[in-house]
Amino acid sequence: MPREHKEYRSKTRIYADVLDAILRRGGKSGPTHILLGANLSYDRLMKHLGQLVELDLISEDSDNGDKVFKLTEKGRKFIIEFVKVEKFAEAFGITI
Amino acid sequence: MSPQAAALIVFLMEMVSAFISVLVGYYASKAYRSSSAKGLLFLYLGFMILGLGIFLRTITATYFILVNRVTEIVPSSLAGLSNVAGIVFTLTQIAAYSLFVLTYVSQSKRIGEQGLRLSGISAVAAFPVARLFYIPALEIIAITMLGFVMLSALVNWLHRRTLNSALVSLGFGLMFFSHILFLFMLFSEGLLFFGQLSQLTGFVCLLLMLAKVNRANA
Repeated sequence: MPREHKEYRSKTRIYADVLDAILRRGGKSGPTHILLGANLSYDRLMKHLGQLVELDLISEDSDNGDKVFKLTEKGRKFIIEFVKVEKFAEAFGITI
Repeated sequence: MSPQAAALIVFLMEMVSAFISVLVGYYASKAYRSSSAKGLLFLYLGFMILGLGIFLRTITATYFILVNRVTEIVPSSLAGLSNVAGIVFTLTQIAAYSLFVLTYVSQSKRIGEQGLRLSGISAVAAFPVARLFYIPALEIIAITMLGFVMLSALVNWLHRRTLNSALVSLGFGLMFFSHILFLFMLFSEGLLFFGQLSQLTGFVCLLLMLAKVNRANA
């Protein structure tokens, strides 16, 4: 799902990349891995993580005192839907 | 084949094409709502307009055929109406194709159809129902636009090499081919049926793509 080329990313795409980064770590990940997986600066990542928590797509937790973010059921559904939308758009040559 | 059976087949083909077009449009609207990509908005509007146009044309054509079966002599007012309806439907189609063109043009910045006559349908041939489906000048405009869309879809397939993009490319290609057949129907009426078939197959390709996309998992 993450794109190879460095180009403009929509908010939806960034959300999907963040959620995908968490999913690839087994549905639970710390900020560092998400930051690397979603290719975001720390400040931007924290802003987006806050928004994703508000949207109930992820939940904040702690693991041995470290902050971790867990994918919610709603977040999993979002990724599945996003993959479908992405495939549909790509079939017509549309990048989202 | 009896005229009634032929008309029924054409009617069903048209209705299925319209239904698939609206279905693709609906899916594009869902995709647009969740992604806000402008290209998806154009696709949504394009397929909705195209589907609605085909649907209305089918209803109108059926009405004209029924009138023609009841009255031997077609009222001139009705004949005139069929001409107007034909222009409206073709313009609807061109509007839809313009939106498809916009879809591909907007992306590049960042990085008719059928007749009701088959051999032996003399009752239908007596009435200018074909005018609902074929206006040469507008047909050429439609072909040009759809040609651009088809080539853009082909380039997309060459770039991505996925089955979904192949189905879209084939779908637009078959729609394009159907317009070519309609353009040459002056020489052979049978081309109307094959054009219709080509268009329906094109829409079925899009339906297959939609089914495949819906089975996709993360």
